[in-house]
Amino acid sequence: MRYLPSAPAEDRALLETIGVRNAEELLGGIPDRLRLGRELALPPHASEQEVAWEMGRLSARNARFCAQFLGAGAYDHFVPAAVDAQIGRQEWFTAYTPYQPEISQGTLQHIFEYQTLIADLAGLDVSNASLYDGGTACVEAALMAVRVQKKRRTVLVSRGLHPFYRQVLATAFAPHQELRLVELPLAAGGTEPADLAAALHEDVAAVLVGYPNFLGSVEDLTALGEVAHGRGALLVSVTQEPFALGWLEAPGRAGADMACGEAMSFGNKLNYGGPYLGFLAVRDSHKREIPGRVVGQTVDLEGRTGYVLTLTAREQHIRRDKATSNICSNQGLAALRANIFLQLAGPQGLAGLAELNAAKAQFLRSRLLELPDFEPVFDRPFFNEFVLRYHGDVATLREACLRESLLPGLDLGPWYPELEGCLLWCATELHTRGMIESVVEVAARVPSLNREGA
Amino acid sequence: MSTRQREPLIFEQSVPGKRGMDLPPLDVPPPRDTRAAHLRRRDFGILPSVSEVDVIRHFTRMSHWNYGVDDGIYPLGSCTMKHNPRLNEKAAALPGFTDCHPMAPDELAQGNLELIYTLQEWLKEITGLPGITLQPSAGAAGELTGVMLIRAYHVSRGAARRIILIPDSAHGTNPATAAMAGYEVLEVASGPDGTISFTDLDEGGKTRRGLNSLLAEFGPEVAGLMVTNPNTLGVFEQAIQEVADALHAVGALMYMDGANMNALVGVARPGDFGVDVMHLNLHKTFSTPHGGGGPGSGPVACSAALEPFLPVPVVRRDTRRVGEGEVETHTYRWDWDRPKSIGKVHTYHGNFGMLVRALAYCLSHGADGLKQATLRAIVNANYIRARLSGTYHLPIQSPTLHEVVFSDTRQAAHDVHTLDIAKRLIDCGFHPPTVYFPLIVPGAIMIEPTESESKAELDAFCEAMLTIAREAETDPELLHQAPTTAPLRRLDETTAARRPVLRWRSPETT
Repeated sequence: MRYLPSAPAEDRALLETIGVRNAEELLGGIPDRLRLGRELALPPHASEQEVAWEMGRLSARNARFCAQFLGAGAYDHFVPAAVDAQIGRQEWFTAYTPYQPEISQGTLQHIFEYQTLIADLAGLDVSNASLYDGGTACVEAALMAVRVQKKRRTVLVSRGLHPFYRQVLATAFAPHQELRLVELPLAAGGTEPADLAAALHEDVAAVLVGYPNFLGSVEDLTALGEVAHGRGALLVSVTQEPFALGWLEAPGRAGADMACGEAMSFGNKLNYGGPYLGFLAVRDSHKREIPGRVVGQTVDLEGRTGYVLTLTAREQHIRRDKATSNICSNQGLAALRANIFLQLAGPQGLAGLAELNAAKAQFLRSRLLELPDFEPVFDRPFFNEFVLRYHGDVATLREACLRESLLPGLDLGPWYPELEGCLLWCATELHTRGMIESVVEVAARVPSLNREGA
Repeated sequence: MSTRQREPLIFEQSVPGKRGMDLPPLDVPPPRDTRAAHLRRRDFGILPSVSEVDVIRHFTRMSHWNYGVDDGIYPLGSCTMKHNPRLNEKAAALPGFTDCHPMAPDELAQGNLELIYTLQEWLKEITGLPGITLQPSAGAAGELTGVMLIRAYHVSRGAARRIILIPDSAHGTNPATAAMAGYEVLEVASGPDGTISFTDLDEGGKTRRGLNSLLAEFGPEVAGLMVTNPNTLGVFEQAIQEVADALHAVGALMYMDGANMNALVGVARPGDFGVDVMHLNLHKTFSTPHGGGGPGSGPVACSAALEPFLPVPVVRRDTRRVGEGEVETHTYRWDWDRPKSIGKVHTYHGNFGMLVRALAYCLSHGADGLKQATLRAIVNANYIRARLSGTYHLPIQSPTLHEVVFSDTRQAAHDVHTLDIAKRLIDCGFHPPTVYFPLIVPGAIMIEPTESESKAELDAFCEAMLTIAREAETDPELLHQAPTTAPLRRLDETTAARRPVLRWRSPETT
């Protein structure tokens, strides 16, 4: 076995020093009746070549596309070569959580920079070192809001939040009989301040709204924030496409008290849903309630600047059942990707990418709307995703697109029955005009139920 | 390598006008501005303006201050820092995996679904448990999923119950998890070797409750017990089956924290000794890299009774027989029709990239290699135990498996403590072990070498430890001052927590 350092003479020497004849003797602590009295019923070891072939075969069983017009919380963006090259350094990916700061300054300084970038993009003061993904970031934000708000026990969640985020929230809240999770309705693809006002009461700790929401709509954080704050509730903005933060005002400056969501768009690949990057940024006054790892600046014995894991009194290894969260391992390497990506992008890159995304999505939308079967469902500002009703047969459209190696937008029916027959389309900087024209062309060729009077 | 001792924060290196990213030209009309005026991004704050060269050098220099498992032994107890095979990295980077959208239709993601199904089959055989989900992102997420399964099971039988029992030797995530799952935690006493005590223990007039009296008093209110096996001292719970029986007798379930599964793979299966539900750490036992703090992956395996409650969706394999020779073909799909499910615990399918690596690890080792790895990990830990126990105090005499815990009792006589020993190891070129854990051993030094270490590396580490023990007697100040060869000396953690500086701010704005 190539990963094991076994050699007969050395193996014997190890056993002799221990004072046993063979390794099995060291299993004495495991009662005989509890041992597996046979070999595992699994295939034998394989060479590197054989495993490489098998992994190649599996990866090739997945379809590849010329272009994917599917976003819905997972976005296909360009990843600069410098990101992958740096991530491949063993100093980053084979290191553990930086418990020994003197030999972990690389990871610690990187996290400090990452925290700075996320807090700044969010227009807030403090970010943690990362959370698992968008859905679990919503859970941590909601639970944190309840802690901060002391006696308040209700969290309002806009129906515009990613349906999977809402499912993850529901799972996490189910064990807590004392907490209530209440859905805020959608009106024309967005959350109306009037609906929020009607739902607010003295027990509401926080309100979670998408920014932009799952349907692509840019929620008016300022208007919603005024209403929420009027009744003492916190506004939590949930961003599933952080490229939008290069286009839209920072949530903290627009009216949000906390910002959370999914930051995989920054330098991470689609990866069938993970590893992704949950983020959470909060105001300075709430920093001692933030969940997860946090890095702080300090000095060493000689007064030189350095970085350490800090505010650990919040964490599970100190506070045990009173901790702010049970999180231990987070998404360190995904955060490193985001950090490198953001530094490469800089202000011009992020602004330019935002403009490209907005332009491509608007172009795709306007070209689709030239076809008779597509129709707007609502008219709210959007970033790189939008909803259109399709008057043809969605399955037929999908098949036609797939034949041309194009993955169309998401069929919203299963997630929003009220939007049956509607698709959620996404375009990013990866979509050339040609790709957009080709999906429009395919759609134009699909027999129209309208035109045929069916 | 870079020998520079300081790398300025990237924000301090920013020069307006520099750029590290060029974008393709806009080939469609510029966007119309539909944003409300108050929702327009006004500025980009502190985002740095730097070139690609600046960024690469910045991160490369910082990386030189990190210790990785490729640098040598990384003996963090309970963290299982084993070799990260490069094949696994290469496999996870295949575009067929990386470019697949999590909401791609099942028929277009057959490779991923087959991979998930196959890994599940391996892990089911390894754990001896018939139900499994790969959705949890890390060990703690797995714990939470597992305790939620326990809760859902009890709710389906009438009531959630109120209490989770946890031995005092447990990792902090266990009690934190139980609280997040809405349970009250009661601590179970463990004996001197960290194994669960059935009887109450008297400690200086203070009674610590054993399992029997806790179950006698709270039985019908106990939802389950969370146990790490082997425990955090590396000791196998000899009476694990009896613990399970006692729990099952009052209708409670047994959760096993699989953090130390590296001691058991191919040797003993939790499903065979009474475990109802457990998590695995793919980033420990199955070699997926730790990434400086993640991503991990924490699959949860469970009994048939708990299977209906697993998170949605679960993967299904449909088998068809085709033609005369009846060749089997398999197709895979996600099954969302799970009315008893606790729901979703991750937005999509978990840390899929880690699943790719873990399957490559399994295929490479095979049944024989997995068992060899376990045995070698146990040999390595016992070799360190044999070499150091004459010099360092060994608080527990029971047989230990994959890790060994010493304490600083002997060195404390010279005013040298665990932290000093750990920091001096840095000067000797090694990453320190886990220190001051488990809490039941004062001044604990918890060493887990894993199967990756050769005799030469183990000897080098042991020599360093023995030298340090001598230095403790002859030159304690050397240890108090350590480390002196690392990029930085000891850091002031107290001030960091008291006056937290958690981000950089531009001098102009502060």
